[in-house]
Amino acid sequence: MLEIKNLHARIVDDGTEIIRGLNLTVKAGEVAAIMGPNGSGKSTLSYILAGREDYEVTEGDILYNGQSILEMDPAERAAAGIFLAFQYPMEIPGVATMEFLKVAMNEQRKARGEEPLKIPEFLKRVKDAAALLNMDMAMLKRPLNVGFSGGEKKRAEILQMKLLEPKLCVLDETDSGLDIDALKIVSEGVNALRAPDRAMVIITHYQRLLQYIVPDSVHVLYRGQVVKSGDKSLALDLEANGYAGVIGEAA
Amino acid sequence: MNIHTTPQRTPAETALIDAFGDRLSLLPGDGTVMLKRDDAIEAIKSGLPTRRIESWHYTDLRRLLTSVPDFDPAAAPNAIAPIVEGSAVLPVLNGVSSTKTPDIEGIAVQRLSEKLTDGSIAPGLDRYGADDAIGALNTAFVADGYFVDIADGTELDKPIELQNLQSGGQTHVRLLTRVGAGAKAVIVERQTGEGAALVSSVSQLLLGEGADVTWLIVQEQPDTATHLAQFKAHLGKDSKLTLFVMNAGGKLVRQEIVVKTTGEGADFTLRGINLLAGDTHTDVTMVLDHAVPHTASTEVIRNVVTGRARGVFQGRINVHQYAQKTNAKMACNTLLLSDDGEFSTKPELEIFADDVVCGHGATVTEIDHSHLFYLMARGIDEKTARGFLVKAFVAEVIEELDDEAIVEALEARLDDWFLAHG
Amino acid sequence: MPAVQDTIDRVRKIDVDQYKYGFQTEIAMDKAPKGLSEDIIRFISAKKDEPSWMLEWRLEAYRRWVTLEAPTWARVHYPKIDFQDIYYYAAPKSTPGPTSLSDVDPELLKVYEKLGIPLREQEILAGVQKTDVSELEEPSDNVYKSGRVAVDAVFDSVSVVTTFKKELAQAGVIFCSISEAIREHPELVQKYLGSVVPTSDNFYATLNSAVFTDGSFVFVPKGVRCPMELSTYFRMNEKNTGQFERTLIIAEEGAYVSYLEGCTAPQRDENQLHAAVVELVALDDAEIKYSTVQNWYPGDAEGKGGIYNFVTKRGDCRGDRSKISWTQVETGSAITWKYPSCILRGDDSSGEFYSIAVSNGYQQVDSGTKMIHLGKNTSSRIISKGIAAGFSQNTYRGQVSAHRKATNARNFTNCDSLLIGDQCGAHTVPYMEAKNATAQFEHEATTSKISEDQKFYVMQRGIPEEEAIALIVNGFVKDVIQQLPMEFAVEAQKLIGISLEGSVG
Repeated sequence: MLEIKNLHARIVDDGTEIIRGLNLTVKAGEVAAIMGPNGSGKSTLSYILAGREDYEVTEGDILYNGQSILEMDPAERAAAGIFLAFQYPMEIPGVATMEFLKVAMNEQRKARGEEPLKIPEFLKRVKDAAALLNMDMAMLKRPLNVGFSGGEKKRAEILQMKLLEPKLCVLDETDSGLDIDALKIVSEGVNALRAPDRAMVIITHYQRLLQYIVPDSVHVLYRGQVVKSGDKSLALDLEANGYAGVIGEAA
Repeated sequence: MNIHTTPQRTPAETALIDAFGDRLSLLPGDGTVMLKRDDAIEAIKSGLPTRRIESWHYTDLRRLLTSVPDFDPAAAPNAIAPIVEGSAVLPVLNGVSSTKTPDIEGIAVQRLSEKLTDGSIAPGLDRYGADDAIGALNTAFVADGYFVDIADGTELDKPIELQNLQSGGQTHVRLLTRVGAGAKAVIVERQTGEGAALVSSVSQLLLGEGADVTWLIVQEQPDTATHLAQFKAHLGKDSKLTLFVMNAGGKLVRQEIVVKTTGEGADFTLRGINLLAGDTHTDVTMVLDHAVPHTASTEVIRNVVTGRARGVFQGRINVHQYAQKTNAKMACNTLLLSDDGEFSTKPELEIFADDVVCGHGATVTEIDHSHLFYLMARGIDEKTARGFLVKAFVAEVIEELDDEAIVEALEARLDDWFLAHG
Repeated sequence: MPAVQDTIDRVRKIDVDQYKYGFQTEIAMDKAPKGLSEDIIRFISAKKDEPSWMLEWRLEAYRRWVTLEAPTWARVHYPKIDFQDIYYYAAPKSTPGPTSLSDVDPELLKVYEKLGIPLREQEILAGVQKTDVSELEEPSDNVYKSGRVAVDAVFDSVSVVTTFKKELAQAGVIFCSISEAIREHPELVQKYLGSVVPTSDNFYATLNSAVFTDGSFVFVPKGVRCPMELSTYFRMNEKNTGQFERTLIIAEEGAYVSYLEGCTAPQRDENQLHAAVVELVALDDAEIKYSTVQNWYPGDAEGKGGIYNFVTKRGDCRGDRSKISWTQVETGSAITWKYPSCILRGDDSSGEFYSIAVSNGYQQVDSGTKMIHLGKNTSSRIISKGIAAGFSQNTYRGQVSAHRKATNARNFTNCDSLLIGDQCGAHTVPYMEAKNATAQFEHEATTSKISEDQKFYVMQRGIPEEEAIALIVNGFVKDVIQQLPMEFAVEAQKLIGISLEGSVG
């Protein structure tokens, strides 16, 4: 489903190269965890997948279902089914969360040539999803992410993920800032979305999240490259021995 | 209304124009300088600014400047100690600089009268706009002052204190300072004296690349003095200027601050305190130009108004079209403590670049009653509690300066004022 | 959020020139000769069958006006206006007032159809004399959920029709054209006209006092809550015509009225002058809510043509506990010069100003408010949202003052500016004047652009760039939109979207 080939990318503003020859393949139905120390390029990778203009791909390609997505803008990628759960979700004053959800869902439907959702159907979907994530509907009437706690923001991200039904979910440090209860709820929400036709890329610094969302593969990112891949035991190994060993091997 | 009339000259305007005729033969300057003086007096002949001139909206100089003293000082001013012990002092007494200049490594000091005579200062005498009345007044009459040149890389461990001391009459002084690349200095500008005076004082500061300067203006004129001052600075690449202005005196005061960032990475900080008492009028007007990308500024002005004092703060931040990534913040907070006091604020943003973060805030309030109540509930009587809160309100700005000697010196000036007006 | 969707749809439907109201209507007009003189003023006054006191009032203003010069302090630039090259009176031939549908020029009805004045109103406009109240009260599912709206339509200089008059009269509310009020209610007009904006107030107000041709008059008597929204649509049609309407609204003790004005004009290469005066008077415990959706023709993409909108609007909170609230959505005009103000004269009175000013192309906006605190315990609130795009200049200019006797005056001001593109300018010029120690003023202002982070976030959810910006902008102006009557809120959101069309690079 996702194939990243020899990807090189740099920051447009100052030309700093962050991703330096990254290769990664994620199949449909697979949950891939990307781990790595701070500054290894994890968040950058998520932004590049989503099409952020601050980064420029200088070499290599990203194939999604066999097609290159490099020329697509963020909205087109989203409509094609790529979803990024942000590490720091943006606050958008004055825009009620419900309105935002409706516009986003209907825009994506439109892009796929589907009819807009009828209001009752929309409400039902939102209510169901909110219940699953233990979210209060009152919160969804508030402006998007404004005044939400860290945990509420992350839950709202997963809620959006559920409603938008993407095919490729990229979760950027979704566990950061969550207490253990919130982590469980968010993880259950994510696990419920695991499906044979859906791939997930879970970016995390710690193994903690992977106790709840058990990955099919684990990849260690260091200096903009995948330096080691393995199954879920690799995550446990990293937890026990730190990154130094793996990085040392690679260097 | 917009009815245009040609008004009669006021006594002050007439006195200034007459004085120019009388003084002309005594004023130093080569041909270029003298031509600039002629232009300047022409500007005064066309009338002092009124409230119809936007930048003078709250200070109708034509109406407020009711009389002009002649040039003869009443006495010789007394020397005063610098606010920070050990500072190198450059005194200007009744408008005349000293022939003795301190010998400090990396610093060259020249009397301004010499620069007027040889004409090398001429370009700096240009006014910065049609409404630059202080510039015009000063250019017409300026006879002396200093030019201080701090060499590249010089780091001064003690402040330089420029003292402009008057004992009545008119004084018109210019203080020019160039701070070389990478140099670091603290410069104190003292403005004080006694007697009925008209003072115009223009300070010009040029900051080289990476220069770091703290400039303190301490104005403590008597309530018989008209004090018209200007501070102009250009901030070069990666330079840093912290300007601190304290107005604690004067009958009619206008302090203009004209700052321009001319190099990327320049950083400007303004901290101001206006302590206003009696039947006085004090106006601080700032025009800040962010002329290049990636520059930052913050301005905080705190005002305490007592008696029948009238205060004004005008602050305009201009962000030019190419000055992207400008970060500018301005705040003006006023405590209005008497029923007869007034304060007017006009914080302006003029923004032509889109990728900027600019903001300003302004408040006019009484003392916070809950704070007052809290202190009184701890057994502090109301008068003491009020004094405590008012002082804390302004001291907060001083304490931000991270130089202990300076903070102490300024707090001492603050204490003096509260003692006299508390 | 249907408005956003609608905005986008609407934007897509519009051609290169985005101004949808830019049609001209061929209607037989009755015009005075070009230029201004005492004779023209006599002509206007005679045309309107005015009493002699009104003529004298006009002439006095005119004599004053010739001694004045146009103000230059605002941050707007335009060539000197030749006041002798303007028609000061133009009226559709069918005046005065239709008595049956057939009297209303069908072209005129089409105009209102094109203006998008909601269907229900058009029926009312057309069926003006079929004023069978019960029939009009039939419930309907039209957009006016909050109730019915009485409309006064002003076409060039003349009020062509006012709806719901009879029903309003039953409640004691007078809603008619100002010309009619001068004839039918001279005692009220004489008492209040010029009492808020004196004839000598400023250059354009003085001009208006001399030549105003029509406008709306509202009188809500003591204790009456006006049973419906009142609305005036202003339309400038005739070439080289100035529009000088005059609106006077009086709310007596304890009365309440909500009034909305909407404005459009055809596309023309020349600039047209609009110099209106609006006066509001609120007596004890009265409340007036005045909303404006201003969409005069802004000029073309090169800055050619467009309306010069030089307007004096002022409300006088004359009574204790009175309240006046201004809400404006300004998207049109080549130049806007407008400061709806409140004089807080009564004790415990309050004033509000909510504004959205959108500028694009070469538009110049210098707008804001004045809150003059005179009485005790008065309060005011200012929320201003400026959005500048294209090559436009957008200035907020506002004054808040507390006079010596205005103990406990309170003001809160928030003005935020949003810049879209790097060729436009946003300026904030607040004047705060406190002369009373118990005053509490709080002012905050920010200027920024739409954050790239926000835009990326919204687009990541599948929302295309242009709509992402519309969404964020609508969020930015939400606080003000909420102040509008609901039906107009939707219209205003659409207008903002349309106005910003093409600004995304």
